[in-house]
Amino acid sequence: MLKIYKPLLMIKFDAVNKKFPLGNIALKDVSFEVEENEFVFLVGPSGAGKTTILKLIMHQYTPSSGLLLVDNFNLSSKDFKQVESLRKRLGVVFQDFKVLMDKNVYENIALSLQVMGMDQGRIKKEIREALDLVGLTGKEKFFPAQLSAGELQRVAIARAIVGDREFILADEPTGNLDPKTAWEIMKIFKKLEGDKTILFATHNTDIVNSLQKRVIFLKDGKLVKDVKKGGYEI
Amino acid sequence: MSEIWTSIRRTPYQSLASFLILFFTLFLSLFFFNLTSFFNGVLSYVETKPQVTVYFQNQTKEDDIFKIRDSMVTSGKVLSMKYISKQDALKIYRNLNKNNPLLLEMVTADILPASLEVYASKPEYLTELAAYLNKQPGVDEVIFQKDIVEKLLSLTNTLRRLSLFIMVFLLIIAFIVLMTTTAFKIALKKDEIELLRLLGASTSYIRNPFLIEGVLFGVASGTLAFALFYLIFLYFYPFLSSYLAGIPSLSFYNLSSLKLYVWPPSISFIISTYAIVVLFGSLIGFVGNYFSTSKYIK
Repeated sequence: MLKIYKPLLMIKFDAVNKKFPLGNIALKDVSFEVEENEFVFLVGPSGAGKTTILKLIMHQYTPSSGLLLVDNFNLSSKDFKQVESLRKRLGVVFQDFKVLMDKNVYENIALSLQVMGMDQGRIKKEIREALDLVGLTGKEKFFPAQLSAGELQRVAIARAIVGDREFILADEPTGNLDPKTAWEIMKIFKKLEGDKTILFATHNTDIVNSLQKRVIFLKDGKLVKDVKKGGYEI
Repeated sequence: MSEIWTSIRRTPYQSLASFLILFFTLFLSLFFFNLTSFFNGVLSYVETKPQVTVYFQNQTKEDDIFKIRDSMVTSGKVLSMKYISKQDALKIYRNLNKNNPLLLEMVTADILPASLEVYASKPEYLTELAAYLNKQPGVDEVIFQKDIVEKLLSLTNTLRRLSLFIMVFLLIIAFIVLMTTTAFKIALKKDEIELLRLLGASTSYIRNPFLIEGVLFGVASGTLAFALFYLIFLYFYPFLSSYLAGIPSLSFYNLSSLKLYVWPPSISFIISTYAIVVLFGSLIGFVGNYFSTSKYIK
């Protein structure tokens, strides 16, 4: 008998609107779905709503209207209280890295696992594997001041992928990096492809065009195009 | 623990301020606790002494004394009475002056008065009993300890109120200092707290290091306050011993069954004092930081 593998639906935006208290509208009637282990680029000019989408998934914002499902969590529900459980499944990478300057590489990554209540033995093992993946083996004891921007972003990626976090939300992770370093960071994301559901917000046309992944175009808070294997034209 | 140590290193002056205010509060609390306990012990001791002592003239016969005793027993205002004969008085005198042979010479039972030690069933009967005894024939002198007890009681109550006032004042200051320094530490860790939130940390996970730090400060400052207090006490102990030579063991709020003696301080009293001061310090540290984290970590 032929078995057909149907990927699980991981993220569902259905007519989601986000209006801020002062009246500015960040998202207008946005609908899309993301399947398990899919790699999706979110592109668009500044103010298009890319970061708002990521913050809605992180439950930093709540939708003004519409349905928002992330895995089994209904984030559009007014009674949603499982923020901690949701966030333990999300790995987030920021443009400004958000690496703590008074902690070394190991301690920065360990934070992500300590909040999950993992024992020291498993933390050590997970960090070793993550450092290997991002190419920072041997730099566990380095402090952020001793690292380059690219290395800091690798630390942030390692922190986002450890502990079986199923989603990676990357908000302009290459925005502060030179083109060569940005490509090195993209190589790490390529390695993660197929293992994690990745939402990658970016301006970088070269990266989007060359990787030929699904691209969601946003403009003025509206979803204007959703292309399965797309490129990015300004 | 390393988190807490890092927090102390990052904010040394704020940590020192928290520690010092806790230490100062606990040291003074310890001082007043011991002082009020001591006065309470003295008061209990004095209260065990006869409340009215009546001395009879030399020529008063025992039968007359017993008549007075019996009339008082039937009044219902006396809890108990003890008759001290001339011979008993001599024995007491000899015992008190056994180390001073000069004072024992020439003293016989004849020159010592017989007496009655009277314990009233209620303190308000004391004045009435003393007046009644003063009117009886053959009475030489009535010693009435009500004034001493009342003065001591008044002193103890004043001391208790003063201690309470100072302790409440210091507690308020300690809470304000703790809350302010913790708020400052929270502000310094703003980025870390924000990151932990995004990683899925619960509020209690973020709060716990602050609460543990408060408890540790309480334990450390309590231990230091205790050590300093007893070092000072040991320094003055020889002087206090000679000054309080006539006073026997004073129990802590009548808990002599638990071997809790304020003077001379028993081991169990010292251990209990340490436990109380550390517990009190931990509680202040915990509650101060609890309020601060409740306000600033949402």
